[in-house]
Amino acid sequence: MTEPLLSVRDLKKHYPIRKGIFNRQVGAARAVDGISFDIERGETLGLVGESGCGKSTAASSVIRLEEPTAGEVVFNGNGRENATRNADGTHPNDVTAFDDEELKAFRRGAQMVFQDPSSSFDPRMSIGNAVGELLKIHGMSDRYRRRAIVEDLLERVGLSGNDFDRYPHEFSGGQKQRIALARALVLNPDLIIADEPVSALDVSIQAEILSLIDDLQEEFGLSLLFISHDMSVIRQICDRVAVMYLGEIVEIGPVGEIFTDPQHPYTEALLSSIPTPDPRASVGGIELKGTVPSPTNPPSGCRFHTRCHRVIQPEGVDVDQDDWRGLLNFRESVATGRVDIEQVRESLTAGGEEPTDRAIQAELREEFDIGDSIGDEDLEEAFTESVRLLLDGNAERAGQFLEERVTTPCAQTVPERTVHSPDHESACLRHEGRASAEPNPADD
Amino acid sequence: MATESPEQFDQVDWNDLSRSGRFDLSINSIGMLVTALPLALLGVYDWRFVGDRTATFEFVGLDRTLETVDFLFIFTLLLAFWYLVLPLYQNPRRTRYYWKEFKRNRPAVVSLGWLGIVFVGGIVGPLVMNAPQQELLIAYQPPVFTSVVDTTPATCVGEVINGRCHGTWQHPLGTTNAGRDVFTMIVYGMTISMQIAFITTTIVATVGITFGTLSAYAGGWVDEIMMRFTDIILSFPTFLMFLLILYIYGAGLGMFIVVFSLFAWGGTARYVRSKSLSISEEEFIKSSRISGASTYQVIRGHVVPNVASSIITQLTLLIPGFLLYEAQLAFLGIGDSTVPSWGQLIAAGRSDLSFAPWIVLAPGIVLFLTILAFNFLGDALLDALNPEAEAENA
Repeated sequence: MTEPLLSVRDLKKHYPIRKGIFNRQVGAARAVDGISFDIERGETLGLVGESGCGKSTAASSVIRLEEPTAGEVVFNGNGRENATRNADGTHPNDVTAFDDEELKAFRRGAQMVFQDPSSSFDPRMSIGNAVGELLKIHGMSDRYRRRAIVEDLLERVGLSGNDFDRYPHEFSGGQKQRIALARALVLNPDLIIADEPVSALDVSIQAEILSLIDDLQEEFGLSLLFISHDMSVIRQICDRVAVMYLGEIVEIGPVGEIFTDPQHPYTEALLSSIPTPDPRASVGGIELKGTVPSPTNPPSGCRFHTRCHRVIQPEGVDVDQDDWRGLLNFRESVATGRVDIEQVRESLTAGGEEPTDRAIQAELREEFDIGDSIGDEDLEEAFTESVRLLLDGNAERAGQFLEERVTTPCAQTVPERTVHSPDHESACLRHEGRASAEPNPADD
Repeated sequence: MATESPEQFDQVDWNDLSRSGRFDLSINSIGMLVTALPLALLGVYDWRFVGDRTATFEFVGLDRTLETVDFLFIFTLLLAFWYLVLPLYQNPRRTRYYWKEFKRNRPAVVSLGWLGIVFVGGIVGPLVMNAPQQELLIAYQPPVFTSVVDTTPATCVGEVINGRCHGTWQHPLGTTNAGRDVFTMIVYGMTISMQIAFITTTIVATVGITFGTLSAYAGGWVDEIMMRFTDIILSFPTFLMFLLILYIYGAGLGMFIVVFSLFAWGGTARYVRSKSLSISEEEFIKSSRISGASTYQVIRGHVVPNVASSIITQLTLLIPGFLLYEAQLAFLGIGDSTVPSWGQLIAAGRSDLSFAPWIVLAPGIVLFLTILAFNFLGDALLDALNPEAEAENA
């Protein structure tokens, strides 16, 4: 088996949170919390997820723009092929352990394209010099040679050699992104990390840039790590997709399988957000409620359980899934003290209704999408009882009560990776019991 | 081969390239070195081998001498030429763009013209005009086109009509109480003003940029200490310090420039620090870091140029302050009385204001115009060099 170009194992990036006079570390924002993936030569891996899920942090940790907290990034390109592990288990190609000299050489093997074309160029440097700067840094002191190479490259990305002396403000966003590609290419790297390279562009320009990326990739055999929050862009350009949620990869697999047969509920939700060109098709489908939880204090068990529409019901319970989700949301809100009975009362009065206990309960049911009766006596009772406690002004007790009575396995067990087909893995408790992930062969 | 196709990026063999790029000096740096070296040698020669009362150019038979301030002035002129004027010529596109933006501000264009006159006058004037000589016989000559009562000047150079002495073109701005030509003195004062402007700007910019960027990049307690030191500099009573130095060493023009500019960089350093911090968050800094540039290369290549263009404005507005300060000190009688600055001229004419106002008015107006011009210039530069405005117009 050939070795992958890039192999990331259990990469973590935690930002310490410090407080007090002595700057004691009181916690950490776990922006990236143990992700693993491989990129083969010439392959494009998409990294997809909502804003704030750690995609960009993952990219800058992989390329060591920021120092990763833990984990291993093995880069086998740039003349470092076929290295074997040292006796002490470290890998000689581990980027996180490179010294300055090796790191500088690594920069020739891996480059990056940034999201915002307007700020990714020095306004006081002509774009030719901005691209040629990389050649200069890596020791090409002949300015005429640099100019020749850069002019040629500018033509390849669809600009003219005469643009060498122009300044960034003279270009449009799409043109700047072409120049950014030229800058990433100029050292002839094996890997390019593209951090949302088309998100800031118009749709028509997006398509042009994507096809340029595709052409360049084919011509030079590049590997790409393509970061995006846009599933339709991912489908156009990627071979494989990794779906990230809150610092973890929840599903990874070939792009065709992910799009036709998503396994993780979060992937389903992301896919349902792609607009379809058919006006008669029903819009969307799955709406994720609530915000992404804070990475400083991620939810227990499966991190997605606070928003999952397929959250598992405990043994012996079989109620409507919407009611179940609503009940869990209600539990969460009560526990964190976000249910304000007084406010409900006021809004009822303002709407011209008598704020009776009954009306309040109905209002809460509506707010949390819970049906008129939950199809399970225990749960129904738990709900009414907790509302009664809330009405009595005993919110704390209501929270405790709900936490005892309404529980889901998702909050208690961390899901293992399940293999669905070769190369397609996901981490969801609903698949537990199927064949669990075999140890990755690259993880020797 | 008949036609040579340009080299392509994927044909470069990087392992082949040596690390010779380390000492890859630009044409500007080479020029600076080549021109600054003779100056330095001349300076050393003047300092070690020439007697105090011998002229510097004695060895070529010229009776000209250079003071320390002159050496500094020439050095800053060289700096300005190689790193300010030449780059403007090397990047015609950008120069045209700046000029287009700058041109919109009419008063600033006029100001630039005036400052050009002061600059050229300051450089060329002393070379072609003899230093004003004391001639008591022709004291208090009125400026051309004006006349004074015959009794004011000792002897009238021009015509005396109806008991009034008329000015002549020999002394277009009249003469002082010692019979010195006011126009010549103003031209000599231009040199002093330009020396103050150039040397202070260089010192303030160098210290301010170095201190600011270092502080921003070092961070932590180094940053803390450097910035608290800047606070001390900012709150330091420079005037008292200058008085102290004046009583110990005597205060020449060089001392004035050095003392005041060494206590004036605080604001610049602060501004540079905050600007560097915001620039270092930009994506082009990230992409430069990712290209393998060392911290020094990032600062030198991206942070300093971006900071420098925005502090040019601040520096331009600093110069008028120095010029005024010099004039004030001269007026108080604690300036350097050996140099023919505008302030000295104003101070000299102070007692004769009632009957010979031109001695004060002429340098006063020139000083006023120069300060006004610097202010207009600073304003226009802010508009022309502001990168944010560029981005919005794009």
